[in-house]
Amino acid sequence: MTEKNKSRSRTFAVARAFAVVAGAVMMFGAPSAANAADSENSIIVSVQDQTIKNGVSEKSPVSGVKISVTNPTGLAIGEGVTDSSGLVTISVPAKDDYVVTLDVTSLPDGVTLIEGTKTVVTIVKDAFTTNSKRITFFAGSSGESGASLFDRIAQRLVDGIRLGLIIAICSVGLSLIFGTTGLTNFAHGEMVTFGGLIAFWFNVLLGIPLLIAAPLVIALGGVFGLAMNGMIFAKLRNRGIGLISQLVVSVGLSIMLRNMFLYQFGGRTRPLDDFSLQVAKSFGPISITMRDLTTAIISLVVLLGVATFLQRSRTGKAIRAVSDNPALASSTGIDTQKIIRVVWFAGGALAAMGGVFRGLDEQVGFEMGSGLIFLMFAGITLGGLGSAYGALIGGFFVGLLVELASLVVPAELKNAPALFILIIVLVVRPQGILGRKQRVG
Amino acid sequence: MDFIKIIENTISAFFGIDAAYFALAAIGLNIQFGYTGLLNFGQSAFMACGAYGLGMTSQYFGVGMWWGILIGLALVVILGLLVGIPTLRLRADYLAIVTIATAEIVRLVVRSVRFKEYFGGSDGINSFSTSFRNLSPFDPGAQYGVRPFQYSGYSLWTMIVGWSLVIIFSSLVYLLMKSPWGRVVKAIREDEDAVRSLGKNVYSYKMQSLIIGGVVGMFSGMIFALDRGSVQPDNYSRDVTFYVLTALVLGGVAKVSGSVVGPMIFWGLYVFSDNFLRELTKDRPFEIFGFGIIQKAQVGPVNYMLIGLGLMLLMTFRPQGIFGSKEEMALDGR
Repeated sequence: MTEKNKSRSRTFAVARAFAVVAGAVMMFGAPSAANAADSENSIIVSVQDQTIKNGVSEKSPVSGVKISVTNPTGLAIGEGVTDSSGLVTISVPAKDDYVVTLDVTSLPDGVTLIEGTKTVVTIVKDAFTTNSKRITFFAGSSGESGASLFDRIAQRLVDGIRLGLIIAICSVGLSLIFGTTGLTNFAHGEMVTFGGLIAFWFNVLLGIPLLIAAPLVIALGGVFGLAMNGMIFAKLRNRGIGLISQLVVSVGLSIMLRNMFLYQFGGRTRPLDDFSLQVAKSFGPISITMRDLTTAIISLVVLLGVATFLQRSRTGKAIRAVSDNPALASSTGIDTQKIIRVVWFAGGALAAMGGVFRGLDEQVGFEMGSGLIFLMFAGITLGGLGSAYGALIGGFFVGLLVELASLVVPAELKNAPALFILIIVLVVRPQGILGRKQRVG
Repeated sequence: MDFIKIIENTISAFFGIDAAYFALAAIGLNIQFGYTGLLNFGQSAFMACGAYGLGMTSQYFGVGMWWGILIGLALVVILGLLVGIPTLRLRADYLAIVTIATAEIVRLVVRSVRFKEYFGGSDGINSFSTSFRNLSPFDPGAQYGVRPFQYSGYSLWTMIVGWSLVIIFSSLVYLLMKSPWGRVVKAIREDEDAVRSLGKNVYSYKMQSLIIGGVVGMFSGMIFALDRGSVQPDNYSRDVTFYVLTALVLGGVAKVSGSVVGPMIFWGLYVFSDNFLRELTKDRPFEIFGFGIIQKAQVGPVNYMLIGLGLMLLMTFRPQGIFGSKEEMALDGR
């Protein structure tokens, strides 16, 4: 084969790879989820913050409010959390009588229901004029929230630990991929979304119990990571395409994947079937559901496992060696390409796991991962780009700080402090907590 | 299927206001990314500075449109310093991370309930374009031109202003890049250390480039806001930056012609794909062998998927775009 033909066949190979990835992603949801649910009966709950200013009432959505639906005898039917437009859609089996309850403790700080508004609304069967019944709760941001400062801090601390663990799990892969290949992968958030959506597909559309589905999801997440590397980024490295160009490719990939998810899943957020109905247990000032407690413990065990693996096992040591200095690692006989594949597999699997946990924690949606990517970046920058332990520590602290910050900043801006962490770290210690010092102009 | 309509819409999109405001944003991004090698992923935030600067003048200060440009400039400088000071001494990807995060935070702040009295929350700001409207020599109610180039008086006015700004700024950038300043920033893109060893203050040049690019982006945001007659926070999401980037790479990075023609072709292709798919799915979902492929509601995501795919393919197979030269796309910021 002449040189020219060689490069041409390589060109086709890459083009084919793009097509295969596109095809593979579109395949996973053949029974389109977006359309199945639209014909079902549902209750749409809207929570709006209403303030009267100069005699004109202004409404703004309240997100993050827990809504549960039961039948008149108290049997749970469904629950959900309002999204950024203050809406949540809860599917119900039939047009029947239901009781809708708003969890007052889940209202953002400083927001209370307007005096006289009931937190429990009863819907009668005849109220369903169409397939969906819409009800609105009005809140006003005037009152003080009831809990004491200490209780609120304790609760935020627990929420922050949970969020921090999820971010840490998601960002280990991002940091290791950066360490071993130099790629800043903007499509990493889509790996998290992939995990959440596949879990939804297994659990809700196919009815497989989550405990069985979750390991499958995690394995598929690993395969997804491998595919991303093998079909795209490994080929780009072989072609000698620069890291900045690879970064821009990952941005394109992120846009493409996110819109594929939107295409297949639709724009709504929806809960997983299993473990979605939980009663919070109180331990002193904090309340936590058994589900959240369990996922937090599993996360912690997994993170400790990852750390031990990196510290003790042969492969783990090799990963750290490649991360430190690929050329040197390669010259000592380490198969760098194999290590890179291991890292992509592990990164994809961990991200998918984070996606399942995040899906349990909030809901599943096409943007669930891209909303986290910026917290992940803040985390790995804080910990030190390229350092695995740094990602664990940094991700955990960013999650914790974001939740604690919501004590002082409005809930809708609670991600903003992560930016300030990012900026302060870059000014004070650009290499992060555990990163190696590099040339700084 | 109405092919005439699709072709008409496509042709008019080449010269439409969307292409003009994208071209302005791309000219700005080209200064930063193309010439200086700065990965500014937050161009949407600079655009928002312009739009909100304009919107806030009439809303809160009760001053004319011209003050909006000053307020916008002040906001751009503040934003540029905020993202530039911590990152411009570091590797290129830090700037990417910080700018994308900042753009997202800017969007969250302007759409927040807490700052609603300043930025109008998710409703945004309306009713600020009166003074701009009054400057228009055209009758806002009348239709001008012939199809497919037929516009209302106000659209024609914004288009003329928009494309004039494109011509002004692309000429300025052309001259700027021929000047000693331009040679220094291009040298920074190629080899930062070499420039530093010649005694140039690289940090300062990068900061200037970031802010100048941001200022052009600001005008893009203003034109967009004036055309729509409103400022909406969700029009400045992070993806806007990436679409502008795609348009720029399509035209050719580090080329003035690329930053103008790229957005025109980008919008031509986008409008063609959008119109075509909408016509295709107008009556019933598009099917292959009875297997539903695209439904009406899925046209939007499919368009954006194609943009993402286009960006990947361009960066892989033709990073120099239509007009660029391969030597100038040897970006490798490490």
